[in-house]
Amino acid sequence: MTTQPFTRSLANPGAGADLRSLLAVVRKEWLIFVRYPSWIIALFIWPIIFPLGYILTARALSGVDGSGLAQFQANTGLSDYIGYIAIGTTIWMWQNIVLWNVGFSLRNEQLRGTLESNWLSPTWRFAHLLGSSFPQLFSMFIFLTISALEYIFLFGVNFQGSLWLALLVVLTAIPSIYGLGFAFASLVITAKEANAFVFLVRGIVMIFCGITFPISLLPTWMQPLTNWLPQTYIIRAMRSATLSNAGLDAISHDLGMLLVFGLLWLTVGYVAFNWMERRARQTGAIGQY
Amino acid sequence: MSTWAIEAENLVKKFPQRGNPATQGNSKESSDKKEKKSHWPRFKHKPKQLFTAVDGVSLQIECGEIFGLLGPNGAGKSTTIRMLCTLLEPTSGTARVNGFDIVKQANEVRRNLGTVLAGERSIYWKLSGRENLEYFAALYHIPPAIAKKRVEELIERMEIKDRANELVEKYSTGMRQRIAISKALLARPPILLLDEPTLGLDPQAARNLRELIVDLQKEGHTILLTTHYMEEADLLSDRIGIIDTGKIIALDTPDGLKQRIGQSEVVKLEVSGWYEKIGEQLRQLNGVENLSAHKADTDGVWEVSLHSADSRAILPGVVETVNHNGTHLLNMNIVRPSLEDVFINLTGKALRD
Repeated sequence: MTTQPFTRSLANPGAGADLRSLLAVVRKEWLIFVRYPSWIIALFIWPIIFPLGYILTARALSGVDGSGLAQFQANTGLSDYIGYIAIGTTIWMWQNIVLWNVGFSLRNEQLRGTLESNWLSPTWRFAHLLGSSFPQLFSMFIFLTISALEYIFLFGVNFQGSLWLALLVVLTAIPSIYGLGFAFASLVITAKEANAFVFLVRGIVMIFCGITFPISLLPTWMQPLTNWLPQTYIIRAMRSATLSNAGLDAISHDLGMLLVFGLLWLTVGYVAFNWMERRARQTGAIGQY
Repeated sequence: MSTWAIEAENLVKKFPQRGNPATQGNSKESSDKKEKKSHWPRFKHKPKQLFTAVDGVSLQIECGEIFGLLGPNGAGKSTTIRMLCTLLEPTSGTARVNGFDIVKQANEVRRNLGTVLAGERSIYWKLSGRENLEYFAALYHIPPAIAKKRVEELIERMEIKDRANELVEKYSTGMRQRIAISKALLARPPILLLDEPTLGLDPQAARNLRELIVDLQKEGHTILLTTHYMEEADLLSDRIGIIDTGKIIALDTPDGLKQRIGQSEVVKLEVSGWYEKIGEQLRQLNGVENLSAHKADTDGVWEVSLHSADSRAILPGVVETVNHNGTHLLNMNIVRPSLEDVFINLTGKALRD
């Protein structure tokens, strides 16, 4: 065998070659993902543990006879407080997991020492970030499915809307949730650690998007801020689609806003990545641990 | 197309650095002439400090040559190689790889280079050797059918066929390094950049790797090798650039470099009970031009190199000076100068300092 160099490169740059690179990144990420099987436990445990604290708090506050729930229904228009909390906390968990997984994907490559190897290839560099999000997205579909089944069979939630409408909400939520993850990934490479930013963002989502309470309960001055967070629209649309049997018309405004936010956050994520990539070439940040 | 595989002209790389400039390194400068005045007296703008990692490196590497970049840790070897492989942009200066500009034609440069940086850490330990190579073949845009053939060929050549489907985490360091080199060879690039390729390998694995490097040269690859092992640079390189504090301080063939110091012999001593004052006394002996001393692996024993135009003439004085006040000369040899001696002669310090 010889490795005799070619005078002309075999490289065939173009959309096809970059697509194959992207698929190779997806395959690599998937293989690594399934070789750390502890995530399966988290998929089953978290949908129970996280909302349970809020559900028990709500039960405690509603009184021995549950009379306080009438006030909840008056505020939200919904009687199923468990479903209400479950949907809010699930969307929060989705965003949180994306911030940790997609947001730290490049940083993990950097710590492993493989980021430079990837950067040395002539492939489209954004493919490394984009490719890492596909297995994560697939695992999130499993997570959302397991969550829904646990809510139905363990918590007794009565989902009554259209499954397809719920799926449409999930699909329109993807660009904004993952766009934020892409922006985070670039920030983490630059700042080396961004735990504080993750805590800040998920804290903001927790308070301003009403994951366990109606936004109308927020102080008046805080309420306009909720309109600037895509998670507000995801949670509202998902509750409408699955708990109050709303049709497409009822949630079309929320879906439209999600698409606008999705476009915005994907653009922010892509611009942030290119800025980070350029800056890293000047400062050597890619090779620094 | 350029006649040079790699040519660099006055490459400079400066990094911004935090901290007190008075207490750091030797190649520092301020980017601002004066401190900017702030409207807020408590928040003074400190001038940005710049650390010069590479300071005007120029070199030309011929096609088919093994070029060794030799220098101590922190000399600027890795920064130079990182600029050449497009991971870093130079602050100033230009370089071309196979005729392509490292800044303006970065993707073409990457297609013409096979690079081994960070050795065993540059591959995925949770993938098998074969999966690693298939992955990187796709990143280098190698068509699937050709990639499959090349992966098999490289697995065969690197003698890992029996374990190609095992996870890399179960491999030895030498096997991981072979996968890292296979990765660099996948696209059959004309030029290979190998950054400290034998670092951390056991002697047998290092020897095998050196043989592989020689074979790759015979197959037509140009190889730029960085190392701080002088024997390795001496053994493999057609020409060597010695780099220190970001500058190339000498560039020639290994023999040419050794002849440069104008000495046919160097006096090597092993001394017990060494202390700094003896070094000063030896330096003051007539005929001694340079001295370097470092602690040997053996407890209390120091290895000392003395450079002199006439080694034999200084011996009586050396023996008398060393065997004094409880210090003993344990061993003495007169040897031909090595690249280490060239480095000592040029910088006054040893490579390992």
